[in-house]
Amino acid sequence: MSDILRTIDLSKRFRNTVALDHMNMAVPEGSVYGLVGPNGAGKTTTIKLLMNLHQPTAGRAEVFGHDSRRISPQDFAQIGYVSENQEMPEWMTVGYLMAYLKPFYPTWDAARAAELLRQFDLPLDRKLRHLSHGMRMKAALASSLAHRPRLIVLDEPFTGLDALVRDELIEGVLESADSATIPISSNDLSEIESFTSHIGYLDHGRLQFSEEMTSLTERFREIEITLRSPSPSPAPWPATWLNPQQSPAVVRFVDSQFEQDRTVAEVRRLFPDAQQISVNPMPLRAIFVTLAKAGRKAA
Amino acid sequence: MRQALHIFKKDVRHLWLEIAVALAAVAAFTWMGARQAPWSGAPREMAWGLGTFPLPLAWWILIARVIHSEALPGDRQFWLTRPYAWKSLLGAKALSILVFVNLPMLVADAVIIRAHGFSLLAELPGFLWSQVLLTAVFVLPMAALSAVTTGFVQLLLTCVVLALALWVCNMVAPGLSIGATWVALDWVKSYCAGVVTTIAALAILTWQYARRRTAATRSLAAAAGILVVLGTGLIPWTAAFSIQSRLSKQPVDQSAVHVGFDWGKKWAARALIGRDGNVWIHLPLQITGIPDGMETRFDGLVVTIQAPGGAVWRADREPRSYVGSTGQLLALQTTVDGSFYRKVKDQPVKLRGALYLTLYGNRRTASVPFQDRSVPVPGVGMCSAHRGADAQTYFFRCSSAFRWQPDLVLIYVAAKDNWGGTSYSPLHAISYSPFPADLSISPVGVYGRFGYATFREPASPVTVSTMEPLTHMARDFEISGLRLGDFEARLTPLPR
Repeated sequence: MSDILRTIDLSKRFRNTVALDHMNMAVPEGSVYGLVGPNGAGKTTTIKLLMNLHQPTAGRAEVFGHDSRRISPQDFAQIGYVSENQEMPEWMTVGYLMAYLKPFYPTWDAARAAELLRQFDLPLDRKLRHLSHGMRMKAALASSLAHRPRLIVLDEPFTGLDALVRDELIEGVLESADSATIPISSNDLSEIESFTSHIGYLDHGRLQFSEEMTSLTERFREIEITLRSPSPSPAPWPATWLNPQQSPAVVRFVDSQFEQDRTVAEVRRLFPDAQQISVNPMPLRAIFVTLAKAGRKAA
Repeated sequence: MRQALHIFKKDVRHLWLEIAVALAAVAAFTWMGARQAPWSGAPREMAWGLGTFPLPLAWWILIARVIHSEALPGDRQFWLTRPYAWKSLLGAKALSILVFVNLPMLVADAVIIRAHGFSLLAELPGFLWSQVLLTAVFVLPMAALSAVTTGFVQLLLTCVVLALALWVCNMVAPGLSIGATWVALDWVKSYCAGVVTTIAALAILTWQYARRRTAATRSLAAAAGILVVLGTGLIPWTAAFSIQSRLSKQPVDQSAVHVGFDWGKKWAARALIGRDGNVWIHLPLQITGIPDGMETRFDGLVVTIQAPGGAVWRADREPRSYVGSTGQLLALQTTVDGSFYRKVKDQPVKLRGALYLTLYGNRRTASVPFQDRSVPVPGVGMCSAHRGADAQTYFFRCSSAFRWQPDLVLIYVAAKDNWGGTSYSPLHAISYSPFPADLSISPVGVYGRFGYATFREPASPVTVSTMEPLTHMARDFEISGLRLGDFEARLTPLPR
């Protein structure tokens, strides 16, 4: 599988603030890539650099194998971009927006456009300025999917939306997921957890990891050790064991490199007094919170 | 091209109100301009003057709105991630401006010019050049400023800041202003500023549309602004005259032209000691060798006064300040530092300098009858003469298309009873500009409009004679052996 988006040592600095620090990321073709991280981590900056909305301070980004600074209209004809803070031409009606954009895209599918408008229940004669935030996002998404793009870039698309609208948008996006690559940034993991195939975790401008969802959920486990008698924390504490919490009889932590045999053996070595070892799988949200806390502690 | 047309149609649909206002402003301007017949009165002229005001305002708003429809600075506009080709976008914007600013103005110019009796074909160069000026000096800078601003409010603030900066600059260093100070040579300064502005505006527009480098293009705009204000202010007058000399229409044997002290008018020489101790020098000059049939106009003079002991006084202001001509008297006029004067006044001094002059020739004469229509006068434009209702006043007025004519004009109105007549020159400044149009909203320049009271009914017709500038030259001169003390005089306070 080739990479449709790539960043190579990508850095961005806004005056004295480092927004992105030597980021190396690859988004494989056909994937739904969730770029997650806390507020201010650099997610939107990454997407704006990929879309040539900002210029990198160092390094480079590639879209379809081309330098993002030279991204062409032909490239954009294969991209659908929706952002939470995008400024739409508010004087246009929904119908005129679609009619206006149609000639820009050689692959515009009128039937698909009509279907999206129907699916999102968008009033054709209503001006965008008279639509609610949710409806505007739907209009933006409909106008970004009607040409059946190869790449659908979504920057925090669900922020501020109610659950119903969010589900409708996700449904709309997923209908295109078979043929498209979808990088999506979000700081709310629960909303993207169900449909992402890959995940990249960004914190303080650094990409902490980037991998397939399955391997990520496989390698994170919450470990709970019940001790026979109180014992001190081992030193040194393994670097991959995050957020340790210890009471006299119980030790809890998150293993970020979990392998059943190796982890159990390590626990037994460091806690010879362990009476019981409990291993619990973690939802993505819990992994995210763990990483955020660990990152903050390290900072 | 197809995409450009598509964006253009969208802009027309979006900005119909701004377009309608701009077209209405042009229509009103045309109506008033065409109605301003050559013999109409002052109120209608004033109305036309007021009518021109909304036009640039309407254009300014339209240009800004057209560019800001797809604003270039920022990262949130929806169009940035759509397949817009920058050349198509820029083409669409250019098309909008061409169709709704340039084209209506071209039509307006044609209607007004025709209403004033000018031939459209004969004025074609002026038509085209006025469009070039409109585009270069108004449209492009305004479009460039719009291209580096996010919206109308930011553009308005930018313009206010620029106007304030220019005002402060004029207050602090008036000599650096681009304004009219060189009279006939002003066009050199204006065109230098225009060329810098146009190049910068084109660079900003191309760069911004192709790459959207807002910070860099804003820096370029600021640098161009500084260059226009400082650069044009620092152009030496002599350099401007040198450029003008190269544009002379007719070569003249300059070696025959000599400048020297006019010994025949020595009585007019003065070294007048002022109350502040400085000395005002007034020395009559004589110029010989001017070809027959030509007249001279003195544009400027540079001079250095050298004493035998080595003391030197040098004029450090613009050369044109140092020459004066009253009737037949051409004189070097300058103020010399009092201490220098006292040191050298009894010694024979040497004056070295250069006189800048223009030779006029090709005299032409035309008659303008007293009637309610204008007639063409070569070298001037269209002229008309008519009597006032009281039969004791008459009006004479000339209009020229697109620019002030460079010719020297002399108007002679003879009295009916042949007791003599009145000669005068129109009250407009001569420009040596070689271009067929000046920068002005109005395509018709009116001058020589006089309401002249007389007790004798003027005879018909009015005689207008014109001479055109043929060559511009600088002649070096050296005058030796003058003792400034010989011409000394003192200002005496008037008795109370």
